[in-house]
Amino acid sequence: MRNLTNQLLLFKKYIHELNSFRAVIQSRCYSRPTSFPDYFQNPIFRKEDQLKLIENNELSKLASVPIKPPAVYETSSVYHDPLVNKVINHVMEEGKKKLARSLVEKAFENIKRIQIERYHLATTPEQKSKIVLNPKEILHTAIENCKPLLQLTPIKRGGITYQVPGPITEKRSLFLAIKWLLEAANEKERTVHFPEQFAWELLDAANNTGKVVKRKQDLHRQCEANRAYAHYRWQ
Amino acid sequence: MFTRNFRNICRRYSQSVTFRTTETSPVQQNDNQVGLFYTIEKDVCKKLFGHGGLPKSYMKQTKTFTETTLMIRQPALDVIDCIKASDLNKPAIRYVLYGETGTGKSLTLAHLIHYAHDAGFLIVHVPWVSEWLRRVPRHKEMSNSQTREGFVDLPLDAAAWLLHFKTQNQTLLKCGDLKISKDYVWSKREQTSAGAPLAELVEQGISRVKYACDVIDALVYEIKLLSNNKQCKTFVAVDGYNCFFYPMTRLNTPTKKKVKPEEVTLTTTFMELTKNDWTNGVIVLSVDQIAVPEDHQESYLPKYLLYKKGFEHLDPFVPVEVGRYSEKEFLSCASYYRDRLWLRGPEDLETELKLASACNPYKFMELCAPL
Repeated sequence: MRNLTNQLLLFKKYIHELNSFRAVIQSRCYSRPTSFPDYFQNPIFRKEDQLKLIENNELSKLASVPIKPPAVYETSSVYHDPLVNKVINHVMEEGKKKLARSLVEKAFENIKRIQIERYHLATTPEQKSKIVLNPKEILHTAIENCKPLLQLTPIKRGGITYQVPGPITEKRSLFLAIKWLLEAANEKERTVHFPEQFAWELLDAANNTGKVVKRKQDLHRQCEANRAYAHYRWQ
Repeated sequence: MFTRNFRNICRRYSQSVTFRTTETSPVQQNDNQVGLFYTIEKDVCKKLFGHGGLPKSYMKQTKTFTETTLMIRQPALDVIDCIKASDLNKPAIRYVLYGETGTGKSLTLAHLIHYAHDAGFLIVHVPWVSEWLRRVPRHKEMSNSQTREGFVDLPLDAAAWLLHFKTQNQTLLKCGDLKISKDYVWSKREQTSAGAPLAELVEQGISRVKYACDVIDALVYEIKLLSNNKQCKTFVAVDGYNCFFYPMTRLNTPTKKKVKPEEVTLTTTFMELTKNDWTNGVIVLSVDQIAVPEDHQESYLPKYLLYKKGFEHLDPFVPVEVGRYSEKEFLSCASYYRDRLWLRGPEDLETELKLASACNPYKFMELCAPL
C-alpha cells in the first residue's frame, strides 16, 4: 500500500510538472505572419483542459471566438506529451519529423531496456522502488536538471565587452537545456548510434551527473565569478 | 484528480487477467489455454533455437523480459491437433503457414518445433531461407559444386546448418539407433561406410566444410529412408519457404553470373525433402512476404508468394492462416507486457494501442516500446 501511495505521489508530481511545462510550450507564437489573423485563439485539444473549461464555465465564452485548427502533433492521445514533442522538434533536421520521432522513440526504448535490466538486477524491494522505469519521467527530470538558472550576456562598456550575469527566462533555459542535451548526444563515436548515446545522456542527466549537468554548473560558476559586473546590466 | 487516479490504480491491481499457464509442454496444451503464455525452459530454448529460429526483435524481448515465453495460439494448436489425428503411414502432409507481416508465423513455427521436440520427432529446421539465398555478407563463401555440373554450393551456410541440426537433435543422434544405408565416398581417403551412425555423417559435414552441401544431400536421402522404414518420425520446418521460388537470388558466381535459386544445391535438397513421396513425416512451411524483395510483396497469400511453380510443387497442402490478435489474445498480451513492466500507464492506453496497432502483434510490440 505504501508503495502504491508513493507511486501516486510521483504520478501527481509528474502531472503537475506537465502542466507547468505546458504553459511554456503550448503557446504557439509564430515569428512570421500566418494565414490566421491574430484574434484567432489557440485550440484547446486536451480532454482534461476541456473538462476544466466546462468546470469553470468558460466554454460559452470560447464558443463565439474564432479558433485555429489544431496541428497534426496536437492530439488528445493518452501518450501525448508537449515536452517530448518539443524535443522531437529540436532533433528534427530539414523537416524530417518522422525520422526525428523514430530516433527519440528509439532512445526511449533504450532507456526502458536499460532501466528494466537494472530493475531485474536489483535485489531488495527498496532498490527496486527507487528505479524510475518511465522514460518520459526520466526525460522530464533530465531536462529539469539541465536547465540553467542564470545566463551571461555580453555587454560593451568602455570598449571592453563584459560577460554580465543575469536572470534567464523560463523559455530560454528550456531551450538551452534541450540544446545542450542534444549537443552532448551528438558528440560521440561514429559507430555509436544517436538513440543509444541520447539515452545514456538522458539517464546521466536525470541522475544529476554527466556532461550536460557539468556544463550547467560551469555556467553557474562563471556567473558567480562575474558577479562584480552585474551592475553593468543597468548602468 | 486524486480520486480518479486512485480508482484507476485500484482497478488495475484488482482486475488481474490470467495470462500465464504452467503447462510447459505443447503436447499437453489444449483449447482452454488459447491466448495464454507459456515459458520455454532455458536449456530447451538454447538447444532448439541456439543457432537461430527466433526473430531478432523477439530475442531482444526475451533478454529484457528475462524469460522466453510464447503465446499459445489457435493456428499452432490446430496444426498440433492435425498432426496427432493424422495417420503417419500415409504420405507426409504439408502445412503452409501464411499471414500478414508481424502476425507471428515464425513464432508459431517455433511453437510447433517445441511440440515436435517434446513428441520425439527428428527435427529438420531451416531458420530462414533468405539467410542463404538473399543475404550476402562481405565474406559469403561460394563455390561450384564438385559433384553436380552447373550447381553452386554454399559450404559455410551448409556447415552452419548442420551444426544447427546437430544441436537440435542431440538426444536422438546420441542414442545411435539411426544408421546410414550405403557407403558415401567423399574423396580418396575419406569415406563414410554403411552402418555408421547418422551423427558421423553430420560430423563429417561440419569438420570438412568443403563437402557440407553433399553431406546435407546425403542426410536428407537417409532421413527419408529412415522415416520410410519407421525408424524415426521426422518433422520438417522451413521458414520463409517462398524464397526458393523467387526467380533470382542475390548470389553471384565468381564469373559475375547471376544465380537462380534452382541452381543452388541446397534448394534442390530441400525441394526433395518437401515432396510428399515419403511417409512418417510432417512438413510445416511458412511463406512470408519479407522473405522476398519488395517488388513481390503485394499479397500474403500462398498462391501469390509461391508462384505457380511452388504452388504446383506443394499441391496438395493444408493452408493455415496466422491472424492478428483476437480480443482475448490482445488483452492477455497487454497484461503480460504490464507484468513484464514493458507497458505502463492508465487503462485507456490499451484501447488506443489496440486501435493504433490494429491488433497486429509486432506492431503492438513496437508501439509499446517507447511508452
